Amino acid sequence: MPDALTVAARANHLLVVALLVAGLAFAAIGAALNDTFYLRLATEALIFGGLALSVDILLGYTGLLSLGQALYFGLGAYLSALVLMAVPSFWLALAAGLGAGLVLGLIGGIIAIRVRGVYFALITFGLAQVVAKVVYNTRSLGASDGLLGVPIINIDLGLASVSSASPAGFFLVVLAVIIGLYAVSAYILDTPFGRLLIALRANDRRVPFLGYRTASLRLSSFVFAAVIATVSGTLYPMLRGFVSPELLFFSTSGNAVITVLLGGVGTLMGALYGSVLLTVLRSVIGTWTEHHLMIIGLLFMGAVIFLPNGLMGLVRPAVERLLMRKARP
Amino acid sequence: MVKAFQTSALAALFAAAAITGVRAADPIKIGVVTPLSGTYAGIGQQVRWGLDLAVKEVNAAGGIMGRPIELLYEDEEANPAVAVQKAEKLFEVAKVDFLTGTVSSGSTLAVGQLAERAGKLIATTVSFADSITGDRCSPNVFRVNARAGQQSAALAVWLSKEKPQAKVFYLGPDYEMGRSTVAAFKSSAEKVGASTVGEVFAPLDAKDYTQYFGQVRAARPQVLYTSVAGNDTVRLLSQLQEFGLLTNLTLVGASGTVTSQNISAIGKAAEGFVTGVGYSTEINSPENKKFVDAFKAAYKAEPDLYGADSYGLIYAYKAAVEKAKSTETDKVREALRGLKWMTPQGEKTIRAGDHQAIQTMYVVRITNGQFNIGGQVGGEDAVGPDACTRF
Amino acid sequence: MAEVLDYIQFVLAPQVVTGLAFGVAVILVAIGLTIIFGLLDVINMSHGEFYAFGAFSALALGWLGIPFWLLLVLVPLAMLPVGYAVERILIQRVFNRPDRHVTTLLLTFGLGLVLEDAFRLGFGPNPYRPETPIPGAVVLFGIFLPNYRLFLIVVGALVIAAVALVVYRTRLGAMVRAAAFDRNMAASLGVPVAWVYAGAFAFGISLAGFAGVLLAPIYSVFPTMGRDFILMAFTVVIVGGMGSIAGAVVAGLFLTQVQAIASLYISPVWTDPIVFGIMVVMLMVRPQGLFGRLGYA
Repeated sequence: MPDALTVAARANHLLVVALLVAGLAFAAIGAALNDTFYLRLATEALIFGGLALSVDILLGYTGLLSLGQALYFGLGAYLSALVLMAVPSFWLALAAGLGAGLVLGLIGGIIAIRVRGVYFALITFGLAQVVAKVVYNTRSLGASDGLLGVPIINIDLGLASVSSASPAGFFLVVLAVIIGLYAVSAYILDTPFGRLLIALRANDRRVPFLGYRTASLRLSSFVFAAVIATVSGTLYPMLRGFVSPELLFFSTSGNAVITVLLGGVGTLMGALYGSVLLTVLRSVIGTWTEHHLMIIGLLFMGAVIFLPNGLMGLVRPAVERLLMRKARP
Repeated sequence: MVKAFQTSALAALFAAAAITGVRAADPIKIGVVTPLSGTYAGIGQQVRWGLDLAVKEVNAAGGIMGRPIELLYEDEEANPAVAVQKAEKLFEVAKVDFLTGTVSSGSTLAVGQLAERAGKLIATTVSFADSITGDRCSPNVFRVNARAGQQSAALAVWLSKEKPQAKVFYLGPDYEMGRSTVAAFKSSAEKVGASTVGEVFAPLDAKDYTQYFGQVRAARPQVLYTSVAGNDTVRLLSQLQEFGLLTNLTLVGASGTVTSQNISAIGKAAEGFVTGVGYSTEINSPENKKFVDAFKAAYKAEPDLYGADSYGLIYAYKAAVEKAKSTETDKVREALRGLKWMTPQGEKTIRAGDHQAIQTMYVVRITNGQFNIGGQVGGEDAVGPDACTRF
Repeated sequence: MAEVLDYIQFVLAPQVVTGLAFGVAVILVAIGLTIIFGLLDVINMSHGEFYAFGAFSALALGWLGIPFWLLLVLVPLAMLPVGYAVERILIQRVFNRPDRHVTTLLLTFGLGLVLEDAFRLGFGPNPYRPETPIPGAVVLFGIFLPNYRLFLIVVGALVIAAVALVVYRTRLGAMVRAAAFDRNMAASLGVPVAWVYAGAFAFGISLAGFAGVLLAPIYSVFPTMGRDFILMAFTVVIVGGMGSIAGAVVAGLFLTQVQAIASLYISPVWTDPIVFGIMVVMLMVRPQGLFGRLGYA
């Protein structure tokens, strides 16, 4: 009889594969039907799913609620837009995002990690608000109109070349990048470092007694999450051709938190599934009524009260049971 | 024998009716991506009312070339990222023939870029940033409302007549729109001889403008120009009055500063406010009277410039489609260029060079809560040069 | 010399006075937040919406003809059962979970969204403004002082003093502080902790509602008005000390004055970053704020 941890890990892998397969099937069907909107919507869901992933790393594993993760996402997007308008290279933009994530994460982390809990949430919130305001008022960044005219680029994958304007093609590229980010996160969180982060979430006062320095642990986690957010952000202007200050506003950070909660905190997979779910919900509810804020708010409150483990809380146990049954000799 | 003939004739008649009925009912779909929630929801509401009224009238009169217009609404939440997503949904899934409704210039520009890439046309009835038909113009974007430059021109003419050599203090919200509106009017005003005695930019959504009143008092201006809007106007004007600053000051501002949405909240503090705007309910023309009466009857509220311009857009589109005899993008674009059509504000022309509507601009002064017309400036004089070089 | 005096009289002093009126407003909102924060450990992300709730209630009741003076008393009283209900029905559901900080924050965040949309549904998106109950102004030493703002400062100060009195000098206040310091101990000493918690929450939002009624004539009423104070109120709470009323007062006055005077010299848009910067420095140097936590002082 396999132990619970192995089963949980296998369930996770199964869910990743399921997402990948679903994504590929979706792309195939979409390409066959010449669809543009749904593929791009799904791409957007995945990009914001990356942001949600970054929130989950902090919240679900390190126990830190960040209410301003959109800061890194948005700055990644702006940087990407600037890079692409100068040199239309996918890899350069991605690399710039990676580098920026490290730097910004370090700066933000040094400010934020000195505190925890409620204070951390407020510092991240305030930091995002302030920087968003600065961007909103900076002429060279397009001020309140943002930056337009990010060109359509050709992504060179060695064997083939995909255009960012191709709905199915770019969807697959983003799927690969986001699943890649997920894989890296899952791997890192499975290492001793990751276990320490989980320990931090469980009881951060005990960790120093085990001989580890919480400050550097938290900083590393913060920087890592910032990089995930920034890299996800770099993909946005490739999809939509523009960036605007609203990408840094609290609404974007807030949505990411809602996504993580709906998907399931501390599951990583929940961030991605949650993003897809929320995007679909928003699109459907938004067309149906203009009071979507209220409905999403009520849904969210319901999830917090009744479904604390989110979607993954419903799905994963079912998957685990399936695996257990199969494993029985 | 006769019965069989009669039955088959009847069947044929029904079939014919069904076929023509189906073809006649094939609607022309216009997408509307407008803020229905958030800070700009009030403007979105006027846009919606104006569009709905015009569509109701057009459909009652037989639609466009026999086809009824169908409006499809989506909430852009005052966020260009959302606006672009919803616009794409309308273009690709609902397959709308035309799109409108964006309010902020950020949304209009972003959706305009999308429209260019998707090969569709959009029009704005609200955004007044000069850049939309200026240095950031697009062959797929049209504007039927007056832009900032036109508003300033009208107001500057009034200023030179009523308050020559005036000392002007500028107070605007600190964001792109607020700053550029102030800059536009400042240059127009200085050209007619006014002098600038001070300039302050308050954060958007500032609650308390009283912290700037010290500077205002120190500068001793005769005229105060402001480009705040919506709730900010309510606060600024009521606080100005509260602090006794309105007694020797003439208040002027941008078109969107005082509208029918916030005038009741502003109350007496709005008395005497002057602006240059493309619309007023007091415009004395039969078209406007008919429009205002119909609007009030339908919505129990007065139309403002956003409602009126949105109403006018539907008629512009109708005229263009009828001229082009098609809803295809390229043909409609050609038809819209140089189009002249009748609106509650008089005849408007869409300049071919930059897709900007040329119209008479009115100087409006608020008297007893009414938007009284104090003068006007001809379309060609107000519109300014064609700064669009893309096409 | 005359220039300096002129400057003080015409620029600095009025700035300080108007900063004072704004400060009193912020303090009223922040006190409610700090009580909820300090006692229940709940970050009430919907606090701004309860401020709006008070304003909208005053608006609606005002239309029914109820005079302003009555509204100042009626609306906060009416909001007490509302707050009590919210605490018992919603917050208690997630209160005993280990990650209470996060879940209550998220829960109240959702509540805020719902309330904001409810206001728009009920009142429409456009602003309203009740007439100033005390029009006119006095001129003291050449400084122009609107009567209503003076009234605001006086009433606000009285209410703040009353709250401080209750919390620090009455038995009820002692129970509240005890429950904040050690819940179980207080319970075993006979303090009805559940009631205290619910009551504190109700009181906190009722204060916010009171501020809403008071400020409606000068700041106007519209669905998104709750967002006005959020950053400033949270900053005041943190700088002053989570749960400290004295802290809220001192920090409130200090920060609003900083903002008022700073806006004389630098572009007003940068005053928010300065305020935020103070919050960050405070968190790094002295995380419990100027006066420490409720009950811990």
